[in-house]
Amino acid sequence: MEDVVPIKKVSMEDRLYNWRLRLNIWQGNLTDLLTQLWHHPLAMLGGIVLLAYVVLALLAPHITVYDPSRGNLRERLTPPVWEEGGTWDHPLGTDAQGRDLLTRILHGSRVSLAVGFLSVGISALIGTALGALCGFFGGWLDNIISRFADLLLSFPYLIFAIGMMAFLGPGFTNLVLALTFKSWVEFFRLVRGAMLSEKTQEYVEAARVSGQGALAIITQETLPNIIQSVFVLATLRMGFLIIMEASLSFLGLGLPARIPAWGSMVSAGRDYLLVAWWVSTLPGIAILVLVLAINLFGEGLRDILDPRLKVE
Amino acid sequence: MRLLKIVERILVMIPIVIGVAVIVFLFMRLMPGDPVDIMMGQGGAVSAGEAARLREEFNLDKPLRVQLGIFLSDLLRGDLGYSYIQKRPVVSLISERLPATIELALGALIVGLAVAVPVGIISAVKQNSWIDRLSMAGAFLGISMPGFWLGIVLLLLFSVSLNLLPVQGRLSQTVSLQNITGFYVLDSLLTGNWAALRSSLRHLVLPSITLGLPMAAVVARVLRSSMLETLRTDYVTLARAKGAPETGVVLRHALRNALIPTVTVVGLQVGVLLGGNMIVETVFGWPGLGRTVVESIFNRDFPLVQGAVMMYAFIFVLTNLIVDIIYTYLNPKIQM
Amino acid sequence: MNTKTPLLQIRNLSTIYPTRRGPVRAVNSVNLTLEAGKILGLVGESGCGKSTVLLSILGLIRPPGQVAEGEILFKGREMRQMSSNELREIRGKEIGMIFQDPLSTLNPVFPIGEQIRETLRLHHVMEGSRLPWPFDRAARRAERLRVLKIMEEVGIPSPGSRYADYPHQFSGGMQQRALIAIALSCNPALLLADEPTTALDVTIQAQILDLMRRINREHGTAIILVTHDLGVAAEFCDSIAVMYAGHIVERGNVDQIIEDPQHPYTRGLLACRPQIIQPRQPIAPISGNVPDLADMPPGCPFAPRCPLAREVCSEGPVPLIETSWGHMSRCLAHVNFERETDWTWTDRIEMEWMHDHHA
Repeated sequence: MEDVVPIKKVSMEDRLYNWRLRLNIWQGNLTDLLTQLWHHPLAMLGGIVLLAYVVLALLAPHITVYDPSRGNLRERLTPPVWEEGGTWDHPLGTDAQGRDLLTRILHGSRVSLAVGFLSVGISALIGTALGALCGFFGGWLDNIISRFADLLLSFPYLIFAIGMMAFLGPGFTNLVLALTFKSWVEFFRLVRGAMLSEKTQEYVEAARVSGQGALAIITQETLPNIIQSVFVLATLRMGFLIIMEASLSFLGLGLPARIPAWGSMVSAGRDYLLVAWWVSTLPGIAILVLVLAINLFGEGLRDILDPRLKVE
Repeated sequence: MRLLKIVERILVMIPIVIGVAVIVFLFMRLMPGDPVDIMMGQGGAVSAGEAARLREEFNLDKPLRVQLGIFLSDLLRGDLGYSYIQKRPVVSLISERLPATIELALGALIVGLAVAVPVGIISAVKQNSWIDRLSMAGAFLGISMPGFWLGIVLLLLFSVSLNLLPVQGRLSQTVSLQNITGFYVLDSLLTGNWAALRSSLRHLVLPSITLGLPMAAVVARVLRSSMLETLRTDYVTLARAKGAPETGVVLRHALRNALIPTVTVVGLQVGVLLGGNMIVETVFGWPGLGRTVVESIFNRDFPLVQGAVMMYAFIFVLTNLIVDIIYTYLNPKIQM
Repeated sequence: MNTKTPLLQIRNLSTIYPTRRGPVRAVNSVNLTLEAGKILGLVGESGCGKSTVLLSILGLIRPPGQVAEGEILFKGREMRQMSSNELREIRGKEIGMIFQDPLSTLNPVFPIGEQIRETLRLHHVMEGSRLPWPFDRAARRAERLRVLKIMEEVGIPSPGSRYADYPHQFSGGMQQRALIAIALSCNPALLLADEPTTALDVTIQAQILDLMRRINREHGTAIILVTHDLGVAAEFCDSIAVMYAGHIVERGNVDQIIEDPQHPYTRGLLACRPQIIQPRQPIAPISGNVPDLADMPPGCPFAPRCPLAREVCSEGPVPLIETSWGHMSRCLAHVNFERETDWTWTDRIEMEWMHDHHA
């Protein structure tokens, strides 16, 4: 065996070059993505609206005049400005405790967006990590976690979330936990499936032969290919999670009552439906528009990046 | 042969349901606060000494494994426990509320499928026409809408403004109905009570629509997508080449194949239906199991929560089984 | 219908598909004639339009594609003028069609026997089949018997037990036989076969061809066989038409085409078949690629790849030139351009040809 060529160790310069190359590719991909997005006007609209929501949510405490938690009882149940009796002081009217609805809605968006982003982010992280590991290594780890995932999946979502919230009590972290507990499974299944098919590709074999460690193969070689699908799934699920959060708040199982959340606003307005339709309806519209925007954006993204995920 | 497999599946269901019960049991016990706390909180009806006695009666002072043991042995005797908050056996509470939930779920399923199936088929056949675009836009809206909001908007429109439909409950106060099965629609038909039939149907409309439309949106999209695929296949072209009329081609050849993936999605949606049940029941004051679960969680009514959740788990697993059976009938390549 | 009228006459058929890059003439001014009981082979590479010809005959071109011009006369009746009801009566009953990949052409959710029976039921072949459900028992029994008979005839063993089986439970060869059974159930006068053997093993291929030959002889069914394999066509057909890029480039009876091919493309097809029996010779492929139908060069479609091409070949459309009785070829190689004149393009061709043949 005299003809064996010794395997060259990868030098630091080579590594840096690799990363710079990757960054360039990534930037190229991003510009590609943006140009393609240009051709999907609906998706762009969704993205812009989403961005608007995020910006408003971040600026909410600075641009609103009223206190979202305390109201002026003398001004309770004023209608929105376009109805009879409405004023520009309260463009969207007030609720039963005289709190300005516009302010409350803006503050509510902070909660929903925070919960939405965090839940999706954490689910995606956990799901991807577990999925990649299980997909790549298989074995007993895969068996256990897959069975656990199947078990979790066999429950209707809301029942599970209600149960968890009841168990943990109200609170922001509890809410995120409850929502994440079930949704990581979807990411897990996606990544695991993708990893199983990537594993058989030739470049993985090539990497192994050239001495790359398993962890490195996972993170550097296969994962970049899978990440796009994960991203698409994340956008598609975010709308759903925001609705879940609103539903939990509606039932009174979300955040503590003093924090304005859209779901609890809708619930509180139920007693006044006959006299003040806006208290329940307007926060609901805020939810609807946000989820619509996210879904439009997500579907557009999916059409561009990964049409395989269709028919969900 | 098939029957054997079905029986096998039913038998597997039992440990699952029991497993669920145990999990719920543990959950409730590990929660802060127990029923006695709640009762004490209700205007001091219970003194400290009373509390200790009650705890002993309810077995709450015993170690967890003992409680679990008592629970399981009771279960095997078919005793689901006693609700201390409501002062009635759990079984009777559940059997009172269950038909309402099932009636609502069936109503939603009927409404949902009645909308989704024609919409899915027509949108696929007339792809890119205005009907297609409108339906898909509607479906998109349907999946982006929070269910509770839809219910409230419908209430506002039909009950409050137009006064067409009732606001809450299952039956008008003015109508009396003999309770045979617990399904009001069925009972009114059985007793020939037309006033009750009318009233129960009117009460069923809005909740069914609220629960059924979001489901219809998902199913319509999937059906359309599958139909588009099947309409492009070679066997559909062959059917035309055989001289089959277009309606026959669409309904017999294409739809039958398109239903296969759609049924799987419908099965998943049933799970969503069961979950959404709770919200719709709350919005419309529907006296069903869903509302019971939510209330009893707040009241720390352990036995009731356990019983109700077990019931839900049972229904869920049963429906999955039914969906699987339907699936094997539709798809000859799969044998259970 | 008088016995001299050919079974099928296609005149000047053109089928166009609009695409983003412009209209594509999948079938370009095609002329074909088929007598009753005869077998015509339609040969060419993939994408040359041969399948489209078959679909155009039955009116199965999906919009936005359409048959733009031409006449299709079946038993003397113009098919393009027929109402959809009249067309539906002909489809399956007088003209049967079989497709390339039997597994994807058979509906996976219905048993094979039922799919064959469907054609009988659609055309009310059996007496009493027009009656509503419970009353048509006699018709159903008759239909079932006929299906079993047909299954046996096409060579499906133990038809009784296989009647209720699903397509995926059959082998490829059996599936194709089932498709043939479907096409023949109403004893049509014409069978359109779109590459029926391409998806099958070679041995099964031979069996299927035998079956089709037997059907042609016993029932007098005319067949149009579409294939890319000139050898198969040679064995099987009475006459052959060679297609390239939507045009018919050569047409004649089987002996003429095989023994004396006139068009360079046909010669190329014959030459690039590996000859197993002869001593080893290099295979001579045809250089170049099939043209992009959306962007066709003017003049002869084969000119870019033709070893005999001259400048004049790319100047304008080339007509079919009859080189011997019944043998046509779309090639200017048979025309001798010696004298320079300022006649128009078509004049030149006609004059030169007449000059060569009558001089």
